[in-house]
Amino acid sequence: MEGEQLNGIQLNEFLIGYLKKRGFNSAAKGLEEDLHHNKGSDNNVSSFTSIDYHNDPELTKLIRSFSQSEDDPTRYRECYSKLRSWAYNSLDLYKHELLRVMYPVFIHCYMDLVGKGHTQEARVFFNSFRKDHEMIHLRDLQKLEGVLAPSHLEEMEFARSLRKSKVNIKICQYSYDLLLQYLHRTESTLMLGIINEHINFQVYSGQPTSASDDIEAVTIVGSFQDTANHINQKEIQWGLLEDSLEDRLEKTGGLLSDFEKGQGESKDGDADDSKKRSTEIGKQGSSIKKLKKDKAGNATAKVARLETSTVPPAPRVKSELALPVMSTDVEQSILEDLRNRVQLSSVAMPSVSFYTFVNSHNGLNCASISHDGSLVSGGFSDSSIKIWDMAKIGQAGALQGEDDTNDPNVGPTGRRSYTLLLGHSGPVYSANFSPPGDFVLSSSADTTIRLWSTKLNSNLVCYKGHNYPVWDVQFSPFGHYFASCSHDRTARIWTMDQIQPLRIMAGHLSDVDCVQWHPNCNYIATGSSDKTVRLWDVQTGECVRIFIGHRSMVLSLAMSPDGRYMASGDEDGTIMMWDLSTARCITPLMGHNSCVWSLSYSGEGSLLASGSADCTVKLWDVTSSTKLTKAEEKNGNSNRLRSLRTFPTKSTPVQALRFSRRNLLFAAGAISKPAS
Amino acid sequence: MVTKESIEVIAQSIGVSTLSPEVSAALAPDVDYRVREIMQEAIKCMRHARRTTLMAHDVDSALHFRNLEPTSGSKSIRLKRAPEHRDLYFFDEKDVELKNVMEAPLPTTPPHVSIATHWLAIDGIQPSIPQNSPLQAISDLKRSEYKEDGLPARQVLSKELQVYFDKVTEWALTLSGSTLFRRALSSLKTDPGLHPLAPFFTSFIAEEIVRNMDNYSTLLALMGLARSLLHNPHVHIEPYLHQLMPSIITCLIAKHLGRRLSDNHWDLRNFTAGTVASTCKRFGHVYHNLLPRVTRSLLHTFLDPTKALPQHYGAIQGMVALGLNMVRFLLLPNLGPYLQLLLPEMVPEKQKDEVKRHGAWLVYGALMVAAGRCLYERLKTSQTLLSPPTRSVWKTNGKLTNPRQSKRKASSDNLTHQPPLKKLAGEGIMQMSSTQMQMHGTIVGLSAATQQTHVGRDIAPRTSATSGTNIDSYLCPLFEYFGESMLMFTPKHELSFFL
Repeated sequence: MEGEQLNGIQLNEFLIGYLKKRGFNSAAKGLEEDLHHNKGSDNNVSSFTSIDYHNDPELTKLIRSFSQSEDDPTRYRECYSKLRSWAYNSLDLYKHELLRVMYPVFIHCYMDLVGKGHTQEARVFFNSFRKDHEMIHLRDLQKLEGVLAPSHLEEMEFARSLRKSKVNIKICQYSYDLLLQYLHRTESTLMLGIINEHINFQVYSGQPTSASDDIEAVTIVGSFQDTANHINQKEIQWGLLEDSLEDRLEKTGGLLSDFEKGQGESKDGDADDSKKRSTEIGKQGSSIKKLKKDKAGNATAKVARLETSTVPPAPRVKSELALPVMSTDVEQSILEDLRNRVQLSSVAMPSVSFYTFVNSHNGLNCASISHDGSLVSGGFSDSSIKIWDMAKIGQAGALQGEDDTNDPNVGPTGRRSYTLLLGHSGPVYSANFSPPGDFVLSSSADTTIRLWSTKLNSNLVCYKGHNYPVWDVQFSPFGHYFASCSHDRTARIWTMDQIQPLRIMAGHLSDVDCVQWHPNCNYIATGSSDKTVRLWDVQTGECVRIFIGHRSMVLSLAMSPDGRYMASGDEDGTIMMWDLSTARCITPLMGHNSCVWSLSYSGEGSLLASGSADCTVKLWDVTSSTKLTKAEEKNGNSNRLRSLRTFPTKSTPVQALRFSRRNLLFAAGAISKPAS
Repeated sequence: MVTKESIEVIAQSIGVSTLSPEVSAALAPDVDYRVREIMQEAIKCMRHARRTTLMAHDVDSALHFRNLEPTSGSKSIRLKRAPEHRDLYFFDEKDVELKNVMEAPLPTTPPHVSIATHWLAIDGIQPSIPQNSPLQAISDLKRSEYKEDGLPARQVLSKELQVYFDKVTEWALTLSGSTLFRRALSSLKTDPGLHPLAPFFTSFIAEEIVRNMDNYSTLLALMGLARSLLHNPHVHIEPYLHQLMPSIITCLIAKHLGRRLSDNHWDLRNFTAGTVASTCKRFGHVYHNLLPRVTRSLLHTFLDPTKALPQHYGAIQGMVALGLNMVRFLLLPNLGPYLQLLLPEMVPEKQKDEVKRHGAWLVYGALMVAAGRCLYERLKTSQTLLSPPTRSVWKTNGKLTNPRQSKRKASSDNLTHQPPLKKLAGEGIMQMSSTQMQMHGTIVGLSAATQQTHVGRDIAPRTSATSGTNIDSYLCPLFEYFGESMLMFTPKHELSFFL
């Protein structure tokens, strides 16, 4: 009895100590007071509080281990390596699921150690197990590596969000049981604590999924994930605008079809002529080939139309913005272009015209191509913007004589061939044409956005509002409105006639790197360094979708013309296709091995073109992906999108891509010397 | 990683002499963190400038974001990676003579930025024009070759390629030692688009080797040419290999390479051995009979006592380069009989000719290196297995010297009686051919699995399992053949292990 009582007192001390360490001061005080009270009133020390754990030896053990382990930094390493070797030695079938648990445990062990000020131990711990996670989480590890003091944990956004949130891990019932058994058996309360605190298991019954196919198995955004799920419940109207030009064309299409064919052929002839003029590669047979292709194209177009008739047409929505009125000239030219659009599919490939910047000396930060491909702009690190009128250059070349047009310096040597726009006071990060090509918007590290007129060749407006470098600016599909995004973690909506922003979209956890408008103008999408893409309602300024799945900074975005899908490209070379309504990734497109700078959908949305720092342009068949997903819904198979073509350039990273309305693909990049 | 010590050094360099250890210990991780933070921002700048290399002004603008003063306006300087360190870089600064700078002509103005247009693809097909990547053209070429096999593919060489070929071949014959030719070799080794020249170079090498057997420097140049051609990843050399290999083998085991005494044909043989080995490694899996054929010709040369010593040397070096397994299976079993032939050549009393004696010593050295490496590998794979016997050998080494000398005498006796020698050699060959058969089988069996890349190292454990005892029995007498000096060829710490 005596021993037991002593034990009880010890236990009380342990418990109070533990509570204090954990910061539950009031609880500790309350317990102390209770104990005193008991002592005073009752001689028998076995108070009601201690009775509970007298009778439960498991609990006493647990509490004792808590109080022991608390201040011993080597325990982390010990426990983690035990857990690790257990996971590696577990059954093959369940191993990959158990290994998924290791990464969150690892980073939280590390952050625990840092948080308690054991810098040296933290570093040793980190370095000894770093290799395990390098393959998948290299970038995160590089970020975390620098965190060496408790203050850094507070300061760094990434670490803070990790600390605050839980990790969702999908795990099958049996693996979950295995893990719990192990943790209880070995009394590794430290690990148990971390797992309880930071991991949220989504246990499902049945067999474990295979290792590779489930990319959503681990999502490192826990509570954030919940908000994301919540946000993604919101309704969005992804349909196209009613009474769009395409609609009008469809309606009149039947009447015009004959006219269209005739027109199309004559246009093709024209196009061939211009090809011959601009480059020397016009072969004799090409026009004949072209005609054949055209027939094939028409045939496939018919097939495509049949298919589209089976697929329910995109719903129509009203614009929530007051859209500018289009002048009849512009409207006519767009209609003309739409009529002459070449139908593309996996069998009818587009032609790619490449604009190579020469002598840029690594100074070209961004390039942009107007809708008809006639204007090309470049933003340079010396804060200048240069605009080339390719139509004029073509004419000059034609005047000079047809023989030497393949001279790489198209501009005559004496006189420069571009229009120089000066005004920014920092590197220009984006320069974007308005849809008709009469304005250029540019954003710069000097935190301003400037509007330039290509007719007057001068600066019209300077928009100030961002506090940090503006990474990207994009005109809305109908002009007048534009969206910008910046290092200050916001995206903003502006109109051309006001110098203040109309909306500020805040919510990203890191830089907003790229922005893109939805075809119906009611939404914008932003890609960020926090590895997410968000969709924002322009009218309300609310975030309506969060797309989670990228493993590195998102660099480029594109919206499918039907408004249903979005593609995003990241720093690692992964492209992801998203379904806007469900916020799910349809499929990742793997193939590039470096940054994807640019993405573009073809006019009718059947092909996706991607341009990358690995000096290639790739074409992807995206119709098959959408079809496959329907098949997938039926039989539950995973699908992989196919890459149709890869066009390597001559050591020229592809910085910009655009499909013209007639489905000619333009690409641009600055030639760089291969690294030796 | 910023350490406490580096903080102290930095503090001293800026004039803070009294920095308490606690302060530096606390500063170190913070400095580390800040540097990483700046770099993170700098990388963002780099990405937004659509680059994949970080430049000095990226860091400057990152500092600018933080309202920090940018580091002095250093232009982007290429950092060099320190050899053998993964994360260590340094400035490769050169001394600049002020006078030269003053007298240098003014640089020309940089050309304007301009845009060139071309068709990257027409209806999804890439036209083969100079503006497009030449790799595509090569794959097209390959395809055409595969299609019309049997028929001589008629190819029109572009003018540039013709000039290239003419120049390179001219230099090979006339300027073989010059830096110009060395540059040409490195171009030949790396440039894409040289594939159409492959047949021309092959026949050029084959012809010129026959013509220039007396001309050492030309032979060396031709071998360099062959090696560069074989190493170029863009040249599809396989179809011409059958034409190229005999020329190369010739340079390895020919009787005379060069005419003058000063010609160091041993070097040429070493160089060629490397080429042969790398070729076998690269194309061994495509041509299954390549390795066996090369091995056979080398072995025949080695085992033929009528062949000159330089030829033997070439054969030995060739086999050594092909991997230790070759040595183990083909050289070691024949070492005893061979040394009986060789040793008399090495002593001044028996062999009066200075040059031949030198040659014999070189052959002896090559054999010793081969055997030493073999032994070392063996010891590495199973230290426990071999250490006791070697130790005993080591201990009784004093005794062993005598038998060795007596053996030498015996062998010299043998030399005087010709018939027994021939018989011995004949036996050796018999024994050899059986091993060769066995070897052949092993290689064919294993080629699929290991692609014959590291024949020696990879297969070592397995072969030792299958025919280990057989091999070990050859390894042990090595000490008898070479004596103490054998141990010179096993690395030092292994030596200390024995002591």
